[in-house]
Amino acid sequence: MEEMESGATAAAEPGQSLQLEAEAERPGSAPLQHKLLRLPLSRIKGLMKADPDVSLASQEAVFAIGKATELFVEVIAKDAYTSALQGKRKTIQRKDVDNAVDATDEFAFLEGTLD
Amino acid sequence: MVRSVCPSVSQCPRTRPGAWQSPANTPTAQGTGSPIPALRLPHCQRVSTEGVPHCQRVKKMAERPEDLNLPNAVITRIIKEALPDGVNVSKEARSAISRAASVFVLYATSCANNFAMKSKRKTLSASDVLAAMEEMEFDRFITPLKDALEAYKREQKGKKEASEQKKKDKKPESEEHDKNKEDENEDDTEGVKMVDDDQKETENEEEEVEN
Repeated sequence: MEEMESGATAAAEPGQSLQLEAEAERPGSAPLQHKLLRLPLSRIKGLMKADPDVSLASQEAVFAIGKATELFVEVIAKDAYTSALQGKRKTIQRKDVDNAVDATDEFAFLEGTLD
Repeated sequence: MVRSVCPSVSQCPRTRPGAWQSPANTPTAQGTGSPIPALRLPHCQRVSTEGVPHCQRVKKMAERPEDLNLPNAVITRIIKEALPDGVNVSKEARSAISRAASVFVLYATSCANNFAMKSKRKTLSASDVLAAMEEMEFDRFITPLKDALEAYKREQKGKKEASEQKKKDKKPESEEHDKNKEDENEDDTEGVKMVDDDQKETENEEEEVEN
Protein backbone atom coordinates (compact mmCIF):
# COMPACT_ATOMS: atom_id res chain seq x y z
CA MET A 1 0.00 0.00 0.00
CA GLU A 2 2.82 2.38 0.86
CA GLU A 3 4.36 1.67 -2.53
CA MET A 4 1.92 4.09 -3.99
CA GLU A 5 3.65 6.95 -2.21
CA SER A 6 7.15 6.15 -3.40
CA GLY A 7 5.96 5.86 -6.96
CA ALA A 8 7.41 2.38 -7.22
CA THR A 9 4.16 1.03 -8.55
CA ALA A 10 4.35 3.16 -11.65
CA ALA A 11 5.23 -0.01 -13.48
CA ALA A 12 2.57 -2.07 -11.73
CA GLU A 13 -0.51 -3.38 -13.47
CA PRO A 14 -2.97 -0.59 -14.03
CA GLY A 15 -5.72 -2.80 -12.63
CA GLN A 16 -3.85 -3.26 -9.39
CA SER A 17 -3.33 0.37 -8.58
CA LEU A 18 -6.90 1.14 -9.45
CA GLN A 19 -8.27 -1.55 -7.21
CA LEU A 20 -6.42 0.13 -4.40
CA GLU A 21 -8.08 3.33 -5.41
CA ALA A 22 -11.52 1.81 -5.24
CA GLU A 23 -10.90 -0.04 -1.99
CA ALA A 24 -9.29 2.85 -0.19
CA GLU A 25 -12.62 4.11 1.07
CA ARG A 26 -12.38 1.73 3.98
CA PRO A 27 -10.71 3.17 7.04
CA GLY A 28 -7.30 1.70 7.68
CA SER A 29 -6.35 1.30 4.02
CA ALA A 30 -3.92 3.58 2.17
CA PRO A 31 -5.23 7.14 2.15
CA LEU A 32 -3.60 8.20 -1.13
CA GLN A 33 -5.67 8.31 -4.31
CA HIS A 34 -8.89 7.38 -2.58
CA LYS A 35 -10.84 9.72 -4.78
CA LEU A 36 -13.06 7.72 -7.01
CA LEU A 37 -13.00 10.24 -9.85
CA ARG A 38 -10.82 13.29 -10.32
CA LEU A 39 -12.35 14.58 -13.53
CA PRO A 40 -15.49 16.65 -12.98
CA LEU A 41 -18.67 14.85 -14.03
CA SER A 42 -20.12 18.08 -15.42
CA ARG A 43 -17.32 18.46 -17.96
CA ILE A 44 -17.53 14.85 -19.02
CA LYS A 45 -21.25 15.24 -19.49
CA GLY A 46 -20.69 18.41 -21.52
CA LEU A 47 -18.33 16.58 -23.84
CA MET A 48 -20.75 13.70 -24.25
CA LYS A 49 -23.45 16.13 -25.24
CA ALA A 50 -21.33 17.29 -28.18
CA ASP A 51 -22.46 14.15 -29.92
CA PRO A 52 -25.78 14.84 -31.64
CA ASP A 53 -26.88 11.22 -31.40
CA VAL A 54 -26.61 11.18 -27.63
CA SER A 55 -29.80 12.31 -25.96
CA LEU A 56 -29.49 11.06 -22.41
CA ALA A 57 -26.88 9.39 -20.29
CA SER A 58 -27.32 7.90 -16.84
CA GLN A 59 -25.15 9.30 -14.10
CA GLU A 60 -23.39 5.95 -13.92
CA ALA A 61 -22.63 6.12 -17.62
CA VAL A 62 -21.11 9.58 -17.23
CA PHE A 63 -19.08 8.33 -14.30
CA ALA A 64 -17.96 5.27 -16.30
CA ILE A 65 -16.81 7.40 -19.22
CA GLY A 66 -14.99 9.70 -16.82
CA LYS A 67 -13.29 6.82 -15.06
CA ALA A 68 -12.33 5.19 -18.36
CA THR A 69 -10.85 8.50 -19.47
CA GLU A 70 -8.72 8.68 -16.33
CA LEU A 71 -7.49 5.14 -16.99
CA PHE A 72 -6.74 6.16 -20.54
CA VAL A 73 -4.70 9.17 -19.45
CA GLU A 74 -2.69 6.96 -17.12
CA VAL A 75 -1.97 4.46 -19.86
CA ILE A 76 -0.95 6.99 -22.46
CA ALA A 77 1.21 8.85 -19.94
CA LYS A 78 3.02 5.64 -19.04
CA ASP A 79 3.50 4.69 -22.68
CA ALA A 80 4.84 8.16 -23.44
CA TYR A 81 7.19 7.78 -20.50
CA THR A 82 8.50 4.53 -21.96
CA SER A 83 9.26 6.41 -25.13
CA ALA A 84 11.09 9.14 -23.20
CA LEU A 85 13.15 6.52 -21.39
CA GLN A 86 14.15 5.05 -24.72
CA GLY A 87 15.31 8.51 -25.71
CA LYS A 88 17.24 8.64 -22.39
CA ARG A 89 15.19 11.60 -21.21
CA LYS A 90 13.37 12.29 -17.99
CA THR A 91 11.08 14.81 -19.58
CA ILE A 92 8.20 13.55 -21.63
CA GLN A 93 7.90 15.47 -24.86
CA ARG A 94 5.22 15.74 -27.49
CA LYS A 95 7.03 13.26 -29.71
CA ASP A 96 6.81 10.69 -26.92
CA VAL A 97 3.05 11.03 -26.97
CA ASP A 98 3.09 10.63 -30.74
CA ASN A 99 5.24 7.53 -30.40
CA ALA A 100 2.85 6.10 -27.84
CA VAL A 101 -0.04 6.61 -30.23
CA ASP A 102 1.82 5.02 -33.11
CA ALA A 103 2.95 2.06 -31.04
CA THR A 104 -0.48 0.93 -29.86
CA ASP A 105 -3.29 -0.39 -32.04
CA GLU A 106 -5.95 0.71 -29.59
CA PHE A 107 -4.80 4.30 -29.98
CA ALA A 108 -5.43 4.34 -33.70
CA PHE A 109 -8.58 6.39 -33.17
CA LEU A 110 -6.35 9.25 -32.09
CA GLU A 111 -4.54 9.56 -35.38
CA GLY A 112 -4.97 12.96 -36.91
CA THR A 113 -6.76 14.38 -33.88
CA LEU A 114 -3.88 15.71 -31.82
CA ASP A 115 -2.71 18.44 -34.15
CA MET B 1 -18.09 26.92 -20.72
CA VAL B 2 -17.16 29.16 -23.61
CA ARG B 3 -19.80 31.67 -24.59
CA SER B 4 -19.17 32.33 -28.23
CA VAL B 5 -20.38 35.36 -30.06
CA CYS B 6 -22.91 33.85 -32.39
CA PRO B 7 -24.85 35.78 -35.03
CA SER B 8 -28.04 33.87 -34.35
CA VAL B 9 -27.86 33.67 -30.58
CA SER B 10 -31.60 33.28 -30.15
CA GLN B 11 -31.60 30.19 -32.35
CA CYS B 12 -28.41 28.80 -30.94
CA PRO B 13 -29.06 25.72 -28.77
CA ARG B 14 -26.10 26.56 -26.65
CA THR B 15 -27.44 29.89 -25.47
CA ARG B 16 -31.14 29.23 -25.74
CA PRO B 17 -32.72 28.07 -22.46
CA GLY B 18 -34.32 24.66 -22.62
CA ALA B 19 -33.46 21.07 -23.26
CA TRP B 20 -30.75 19.61 -25.39
CA GLN B 21 -32.35 18.57 -28.65
CA SER B 22 -31.34 16.09 -31.27
CA PRO B 23 -30.51 17.91 -34.51
CA ALA B 24 -33.46 16.27 -36.23
CA ASN B 25 -35.69 18.51 -34.18
CA THR B 26 -33.85 21.75 -34.70
CA PRO B 27 -35.35 24.14 -37.25
CA THR B 28 -32.38 24.03 -39.63
CA ALA B 29 -32.42 20.23 -39.87
CA GLN B 30 -35.58 19.83 -41.86
CA GLY B 31 -34.73 18.67 -45.42
CA THR B 32 -33.00 21.71 -46.78
CA GLY B 33 -30.62 19.76 -48.99
CA SER B 34 -27.68 21.80 -47.77
CA PRO B 35 -25.21 20.36 -45.24
CA ILE B 36 -27.01 20.10 -41.94
CA PRO B 37 -25.21 21.48 -38.90
CA ALA B 38 -25.56 18.58 -36.53
CA LEU B 39 -23.51 19.48 -33.53
CA ARG B 40 -24.72 21.29 -30.51
CA LEU B 41 -22.36 24.19 -31.15
CA PRO B 42 -22.97 27.82 -32.04
CA HIS B 43 -23.85 28.23 -35.70
CA CYS B 44 -20.56 29.93 -36.41
CA GLN B 45 -18.72 26.79 -35.22
CA ARG B 46 -20.88 23.99 -36.52
CA VAL B 47 -19.46 21.20 -38.61
CA SER B 48 -21.59 19.13 -40.91
CA THR B 49 -21.64 15.50 -39.84
CA GLU B 50 -24.57 14.11 -41.79
CA GLY B 51 -23.88 10.66 -43.21
CA VAL B 52 -20.28 10.57 -41.99
CA PRO B 53 -19.03 7.44 -40.17
CA HIS B 54 -18.79 8.04 -36.44
CA CYS B 55 -15.01 7.74 -36.15
CA GLN B 56 -14.62 10.54 -38.65
CA ARG B 57 -17.31 12.55 -36.91
CA VAL B 58 -15.29 12.29 -33.77
CA LYS B 59 -12.32 13.79 -35.59
CA LYS B 60 -14.47 16.66 -36.79
CA MET B 61 -15.90 17.22 -33.34
CA ALA B 62 -12.38 17.27 -31.98
CA GLU B 63 -11.52 20.23 -34.20
CA ARG B 64 -12.93 22.67 -31.69
CA PRO B 65 -10.51 22.46 -28.76
CA GLU B 66 -11.86 25.46 -26.86
CA ASP B 67 -15.17 23.77 -26.35
CA LEU B 68 -13.93 20.29 -25.66
CA ASN B 69 -11.21 20.64 -23.06
CA LEU B 70 -10.92 18.85 -19.77
CA PRO B 71 -9.46 20.81 -16.84
CA ASN B 72 -5.69 21.06 -17.28
CA ALA B 73 -4.90 20.85 -13.58
CA VAL B 74 -6.76 17.57 -13.22
CA ILE B 75 -5.17 16.06 -16.30
CA THR B 76 -1.73 17.11 -15.07
CA ARG B 77 -2.46 15.54 -11.72
CA ILE B 78 -3.55 12.25 -13.21
CA ILE B 79 -0.42 12.17 -15.37
CA LYS B 80 1.88 12.93 -12.45
CA GLU B 81 0.29 10.32 -10.25
CA ALA B 82 0.76 7.70 -12.96
CA LEU B 83 4.47 8.37 -13.28
CA PRO B 84 7.40 7.99 -10.93
CA ASP B 85 8.65 11.03 -9.00
CA GLY B 86 11.05 13.27 -10.80
CA VAL B 87 9.58 12.73 -14.25
CA ASN B 88 8.64 15.92 -16.05
CA VAL B 89 6.10 16.44 -18.72
CA SER B 90 6.45 19.23 -21.25
CA LYS B 91 3.60 21.61 -21.81
CA GLU B 92 3.11 20.34 -25.34
CA ALA B 93 2.99 16.74 -24.19
CA ARG B 94 0.43 17.60 -21.50
CA SER B 95 -1.67 19.43 -24.01
CA ALA B 96 -1.52 16.51 -26.42
CA ILE B 97 -2.56 14.08 -23.69
CA SER B 98 -5.40 16.35 -22.66
CA ARG B 99 -6.55 16.54 -26.23
CA ALA B 100 -6.31 12.78 -26.53
CA ALA B 101 -8.44 12.42 -23.41
CA SER B 102 -11.17 14.61 -24.90
CA VAL B 103 -11.12 12.61 -28.10
CA PHE B 104 -11.33 9.47 -26.02
CA VAL B 105 -14.49 10.74 -24.33
CA LEU B 106 -16.07 11.52 -27.68
CA TYR B 107 -15.12 8.21 -29.22
CA ALA B 108 -16.11 6.14 -26.19
CA THR B 109 -19.42 7.98 -25.97
CA SER B 110 -20.13 7.40 -29.62
CA CYS B 111 -19.29 3.74 -29.28
CA ALA B 112 -21.39 3.33 -26.13
CA ASN B 113 -24.23 5.09 -27.84
CA ASN B 114 -24.20 2.54 -30.64
CA PHE B 115 -24.83 -0.16 -28.07
CA ALA B 116 -27.68 1.80 -26.52
CA MET B 117 -29.23 2.32 -29.94
CA LYS B 118 -28.87 -1.38 -30.73
CA SER B 119 -30.92 -2.13 -27.63
CA LYS B 120 -33.38 0.57 -28.66
CA ARG B 121 -32.66 2.65 -25.59
CA LYS B 122 -32.23 6.38 -25.60
CA THR B 123 -30.35 6.58 -22.35
CA LEU B 124 -26.70 5.56 -22.21
CA SER B 125 -26.06 3.12 -19.40
CA ALA B 126 -22.89 2.03 -17.65
CA SER B 127 -23.15 -1.35 -19.36
CA ASP B 128 -23.09 0.41 -22.72
CA VAL B 129 -19.85 2.04 -21.68
CA LEU B 130 -18.40 -1.31 -20.62
CA ALA B 131 -19.43 -2.82 -23.94
CA ALA B 132 -17.79 0.12 -25.69
CA MET B 133 -14.51 -0.53 -23.87
CA GLU B 134 -14.50 -4.08 -25.16
CA GLU B 135 -15.34 -2.89 -28.65
CA MET B 136 -12.54 -0.33 -28.54
CA GLU B 137 -10.16 -3.08 -27.39
CA PHE B 138 -9.60 -1.52 -23.98
CA ASP B 139 -10.29 -4.80 -22.20
CA ARG B 140 -7.75 -3.90 -19.56
CA PHE B 141 -10.08 -1.15 -18.41
CA ILE B 142 -13.05 -3.39 -17.81
CA THR B 143 -12.19 -4.83 -14.40
CA PRO B 144 -11.03 -1.57 -12.80
CA LEU B 145 -14.02 0.16 -14.33
CA LYS B 146 -16.42 -2.39 -12.87
CA ASP B 147 -14.79 -2.03 -9.46
CA ALA B 148 -15.05 1.74 -9.62
CA LEU B 149 -18.69 1.50 -10.67
CA GLU B 150 -19.48 -0.70 -7.68
CA ALA B 151 -17.88 1.82 -5.37
CA TYR B 152 -19.71 4.65 -7.10
CA LYS B 153 -23.06 2.91 -6.76
CA ARG B 154 -22.42 2.34 -3.07
CA GLU B 155 -21.56 5.99 -2.64
CA GLN B 156 -24.68 7.12 -4.46
CA LYS B 157 -26.79 4.80 -2.37
CA GLY B 158 -25.18 6.12 0.79
CA LYS B 159 -25.83 9.70 -0.24
CA LYS B 160 -29.42 8.94 -1.07
CA GLU B 161 -30.03 7.25 2.24
CA ALA B 162 -28.39 10.11 4.08
CA SER B 163 -30.62 12.70 2.49
CA GLU B 164 -33.70 10.57 3.06
CA GLN B 165 -32.78 10.30 6.73
CA LYS B 166 -32.51 14.07 6.94
CA LYS B 167 -35.92 14.48 5.40
CA LYS B 168 -37.56 11.91 7.63
CA ASP B 169 -36.28 12.90 11.03
CA LYS B 170 -36.67 16.61 11.44
CA LYS B 171 -38.01 16.25 15.00
CA PRO B 172 -35.76 17.67 17.75
CA GLU B 173 -35.71 14.37 19.73
CA SER B 174 -34.27 12.43 16.83
CA GLU B 175 -31.71 15.08 15.90
CA GLU B 176 -29.00 13.60 18.03
CA HIS B 177 -29.68 10.13 16.74
CA ASP B 178 -29.49 11.61 13.26
CA LYS B 179 -26.14 13.25 13.83
CA ASN B 180 -24.60 9.90 14.64
CA LYS B 181 -26.05 8.35 11.51
CA GLU B 182 -24.93 11.27 9.37
CA ASP B 183 -21.39 11.00 10.66
CA GLU B 184 -21.28 7.35 9.70
CA ASN B 185 -22.54 8.16 6.25
CA GLU B 186 -20.09 11.01 5.81
CA ASP B 187 -17.18 8.71 6.50
CA ASP B 188 -18.34 6.46 3.71
CA THR B 189 -19.21 9.07 1.17
CA GLU B 190 -16.71 11.86 1.69
CA GLY B 191 -13.92 9.77 0.29
CA VAL B 192 -15.61 9.60 -3.07
CA LYS B 193 -16.57 13.19 -3.59
CA MET B 194 -15.17 14.56 -6.81
CA VAL B 195 -14.30 17.89 -8.22
CA ASP B 196 -12.54 21.13 -7.66
CA ASP B 197 -11.69 21.60 -4.04
CA ASP B 198 -10.09 18.21 -4.15
CA GLN B 199 -6.93 19.25 -2.35
CA LYS B 200 -8.81 20.42 0.70
CA GLU B 201 -10.88 17.29 0.84
CA THR B 202 -7.89 15.03 0.35
CA GLU B 203 -6.20 16.46 3.42
CA ASN B 204 -9.31 16.07 5.52
CA GLU B 205 -9.87 12.54 4.35
CA GLU B 206 -6.35 11.52 5.15
CA GLU B 207 -6.78 12.68 8.69
CA GLU B 208 -10.01 10.79 9.11
CA VAL B 209 -8.69 7.56 7.67
CA GLU B 210 -5.64 7.62 9.89
CA ASN B 211 -7.87 8.01 12.92
